Amino acid sequence: MTFSWARALIVARREYLTVVRRKAFLFTIIAVPLYFGGIMTLNTVIGSSGRRESLRSFTRLGVVDSSGLYANPTLSFVTPMAADPFKAGAKAETYRTEVALYPGQPALEKAIRSGELSQGLVIAADYLESGRLRRYARSSGIFSGAGSGRPIERWLVKNLLAGRGDSLRIERAARPAGALDFYTLSKQGRFEVQGDRREMLEFMIPLLFAVLLGMCIMTGGQYLLQGVSEEKESRILESLLCTLSAEDLLAGKMLGLGAVGFTLVAVWMGAGVALSAPMLAMAEVHLSPALLALAVVYFLLGYVFYASLMTGLGAVTSNMRESQQFAVMLSFANFLPIILILPLMAHPDGTLAVTLSLLPPTAPGTMMLRLASPLANVPTWQIAASLALLALAGWVVLRGAARVFRIGLLMYGKTPNLPEILRWARAGK
Amino acid sequence: MLEVRDVIKTFDGRAVVNRVSFEVRPGEIFALLGPNGAGKTTLIRMITDILKPDSGEIRLEGRPVGGDSRRHIAYLPEERGLYRRVPVIDVLAYYGELKGMSAHAARASGLALLERMDLGEWAKKQVQTLSKGMQQKVQFCTALIGEPRLLILDEPFTGLDPINTQLFEDLLAERRAAGSTVLLSTHQMNKVEELCDRALMINRGHMVLYGSVREFRRQYADHAVLVHGGPQAAAGPAFGGCPGVRQVERADGDWKLLLEPDATPQSVLRELVARDIAIESFAVATLPLEDVFVKVVREGLGLDHGQSGPPTLDEPARGGAR
Repeated sequence: MTFSWARALIVARREYLTVVRRKAFLFTIIAVPLYFGGIMTLNTVIGSSGRRESLRSFTRLGVVDSSGLYANPTLSFVTPMAADPFKAGAKAETYRTEVALYPGQPALEKAIRSGELSQGLVIAADYLESGRLRRYARSSGIFSGAGSGRPIERWLVKNLLAGRGDSLRIERAARPAGALDFYTLSKQGRFEVQGDRREMLEFMIPLLFAVLLGMCIMTGGQYLLQGVSEEKESRILESLLCTLSAEDLLAGKMLGLGAVGFTLVAVWMGAGVALSAPMLAMAEVHLSPALLALAVVYFLLGYVFYASLMTGLGAVTSNMRESQQFAVMLSFANFLPIILILPLMAHPDGTLAVTLSLLPPTAPGTMMLRLASPLANVPTWQIAASLALLALAGWVVLRGAARVFRIGLLMYGKTPNLPEILRWARAGK
Repeated sequence: MLEVRDVIKTFDGRAVVNRVSFEVRPGEIFALLGPNGAGKTTLIRMITDILKPDSGEIRLEGRPVGGDSRRHIAYLPEERGLYRRVPVIDVLAYYGELKGMSAHAARASGLALLERMDLGEWAKKQVQTLSKGMQQKVQFCTALIGEPRLLILDEPFTGLDPINTQLFEDLLAERRAAGSTVLLSTHQMNKVEELCDRALMINRGHMVLYGSVREFRRQYADHAVLVHGGPQAAAGPAFGGCPGVRQVERADGDWKLLLEPDATPQSVLRELVARDIAIESFAVATLPLEDVFVKVVREGLGLDHGQSGPPTLDEPARGGAR
């Protein structure tokens, strides 16, 4: 069989245009980021408004002091809250909480039950030695206590130290790190401020890279699997294979559908970067060209590896449903680094991270996580070894898949067993 | 045009095609016959370079098949299908481009074919909106686009109404007139009799018949002649006394004269003329191709050739009726 780039490119163009012209593709390209963006926004809005609501309803705190340390406390405190980012023109707010002393716990509980109090605090007799406290609230919802913990702590500190120093010292003791700047050593060898936003971005960017890379690989692979299964089911291949070789068809499909996956993720990424550019600039996040170049290389090699497996799968299974069942296992392998993100990000140069970044099925995702992480220090040899192993595995799988593809395409109604598939992959017959 | 020489293909140690050799001449409609499972599809897949033979060679216009020869071969398989959610014209343009046409030429050619098939108005409709018969016509167009020099058709008439059958036959005749060669695989023996000059029959991977269709029919028929006579000949027994005739039977309004082994139709005709028996028609008896097929397959004729090669007109199948 002779391979023809001209025919492969005709196939690639057809595959690409057929998919991107479908309404389902347009829907995916628009709906998926909207869906995820919507969920994230919804979570943030609900979280923020939950905290606000919790503070707004925290109007009266009842205190039972068995320690005698709070005999004459301040009977109110104010909690500041930043402006609501989801409301145009909103300003910073303050919430006032009145404090009432109660003689004993039964009276306190009764007042909470009747709705007279929002929350109650019981200070143990040995509080100074043990720090034992009990806090009571009317409801146990997620946000019921959110936001009210720190104001209570500050009230405790201020009143414990009342009369034992000037008000400034007491205020500082209540909020000892109120304006902390945390500097960490960057990859460039500079100490840089580690703000909350930056910290979040440094977690999110590697995650985003790994997720997008995984989606890019799997999208192309899934289209490939679907296409091969459909063609096999609809008996198109026999007449098609008279006109072009199985290798032409395989290469064309991989190119065209890989380009579909790339387009999809490029659009999402472009939109994401454009929308978050101000935030990235503010946090002084710079995406290095080397990282982006490596992302492309890992995409290409990872795509060849997974797309070959998907193609082989589509060719040997007898229908779409069957092939999808097996494809789930490949998706799982591809997204394993995302599932293990917490241990990987906690120890980005640990044994687990190094092992997964060398293993071909998990290399693209794990390496992206590590390379984009500010905490990791990935040696060049690991990148080289990871790329070499992935390239080698991709080549072996591609060769085997091409053989399996050629034989499997014309077998209808029967799914071969594993020894048969391996024999085809080795010998091509 | 197409030369197949000593081709063998085995699957799991079983020879599915066993030392098959034949030649298809330029411009002819050649039939490939055989019962189900005989190895026809495997043979076609080797001709189209989808499968490689274990040994032997296949040449198209003197060159091994594969590579550039692909664009000169078109195949309408028995198991057919089309991209369903794609406009009809796009499917044809795709096949045309794969056969080396420019995108523009492929679309123009596709449209012309659709017009020829009375499907012009369906060009921009999705394939899935077409009826089964229409899809079959589109499939036929995918085979015709690019004006292939060798057209391989596997059961092209299945499921077609008489009008569309006639349309397909007309198109085959047009392609033949334009210089294309057709390899027709079918179980519709009447179509073979009607369209094909020569045929190859394979059974269990072996060649069992190869040559002129007309000659097969004569070869496997009784050694007899069919005579339609005038009033004088109305009484069959009048033929009985002719030298060389061993038995006389009625056959669909004719008289069937079964001949002695050493008699020839010519000697019997001379005798009838000499006896002044009025004859309106005289023909050597032939067997319908379907009966030849059944006889050859049921009786396993030709399967004992082993390594000696195929039976041809010069070397008839052993065990034949003669």
